[in-house]
Amino acid sequence: MPHLDAATNLARWLTKGGAEADDIVQDAMLRAYRSFDGFRGEAVKPWLMTILRNCHRDMLEQKKRHAAAPLDDENQPPVAAEGPNPEGTAIQSGDNRLLDKAIAALPVEFREVVILRELEEMSYRDIATATGTPIGTVMSRLARGRALLKAELTGGAHGV
Amino acid sequence: MECNQSLQTQAYLDGELDAAQSLQAEAHLESCAECQALAADHTDMKAIMAGATYHRASPELRARIGAALDGETKIVAMPAPGRKDRFWLGAGSGAGGMAIAAALAFFLFLPGNAVVVSDLAEAHQRSLVGEHLIDVASSDHHTVKPWFAGHSDVSPPAEDFKADGFTLVGGRADYVHGARAAVVVYRHGAHVINLFAWADRGQSLPSSGLRDGYRMILWKQNDLDLAAVSDVDPGELDHFVALVKKSQSRE
Repeated sequence: MPHLDAATNLARWLTKGGAEADDIVQDAMLRAYRSFDGFRGEAVKPWLMTILRNCHRDMLEQKKRHAAAPLDDENQPPVAAEGPNPEGTAIQSGDNRLLDKAIAALPVEFREVVILRELEEMSYRDIATATGTPIGTVMSRLARGRALLKAELTGGAHGV
Repeated sequence: MECNQSLQTQAYLDGELDAAQSLQAEAHLESCAECQALAADHTDMKAIMAGATYHRASPELRARIGAALDGETKIVAMPAPGRKDRFWLGAGSGAGGMAIAAALAFFLFLPGNAVVVSDLAEAHQRSLVGEHLIDVASSDHHTVKPWFAGHSDVSPPAEDFKADGFTLVGGRADYVHGARAAVVVYRHGAHVINLFAWADRGQSLPSSGLRDGYRMILWKQNDLDLAAVSDVDPGELDHFVALVKKSQSRE
């Protein structure tokens, strides 16, 4: 299965390591499989990432409907650094807990472009396709995301 | 305060600019302290992010999705007539080659079902380039069919369809989809048709496939998994398969 690791990585970072990440990945792979007939793009990876983001969004909406109080993704505690997924295999060198925490603390629209660029090494164009935003927006979010991350790592400040 | 070239500088640092734009960005970098600081941060960030956790799919998740996809392909394996080609060829009906290539690249990595498609295409190609097209050369049904009894796990149909333009030229033993397969070889004009047969072990099959320009039609009959692979015209391959099915039903 191509890009399964990439899908898993994005899902875990979107959910900040939540247990629902695997369900989102499975949902996305099945949707990709079913809708392949209609795929007219050039690259599979950004297409799959788009589906994965939709699955994540659907999961959040479903959660909202089921929860008494609306649950905002940004109100979830950053749990990625706690490593709550014993079955997941993570590559980690040294003590990067603080780094993971800082990434998880980024607002989701910045977090996803940072992940897609820095960990998936996707081009601006592919990130724009995956996130359904113009390239200019990808560029400014990436700049802001990096700046926020730097601030988080150096001073623990949230604003820049 | 913020330099209005900073996004362009970032794009340069990310390797997103062409040669002409890169020259401009480099010239700007030389004189802009703010962008120089950005470049230093960019280098730092790259080193830092190398330490971020990359969440790979666990073997459990991989297996779970594989099982779910296998469930999907069972439905796909026996679609209504006329739909099967559209499913596998999908993009071929109107979109460009890139979409087809991407579609195949995606499917060919799928578990189980897609493996058989690539296995068959490879076995077919092997038979064309090597000397291994035929182990027993005969146009006689009564020679080819008994030969398989001693060289293969299954006894495939080996009827000559010369009257319809498909000449039986022989048979061979091969290995496909993790099983020993009997292959009946036909010629149709300048084209070779390999008819693969192996024991049905209850695995689902795609109903058709396309790889490297070779079309294949797969089906189950008489406890056999059968696959016809060739580069003949689609209509001719359908015709051939219909003949084999008819002959099989008489077995």
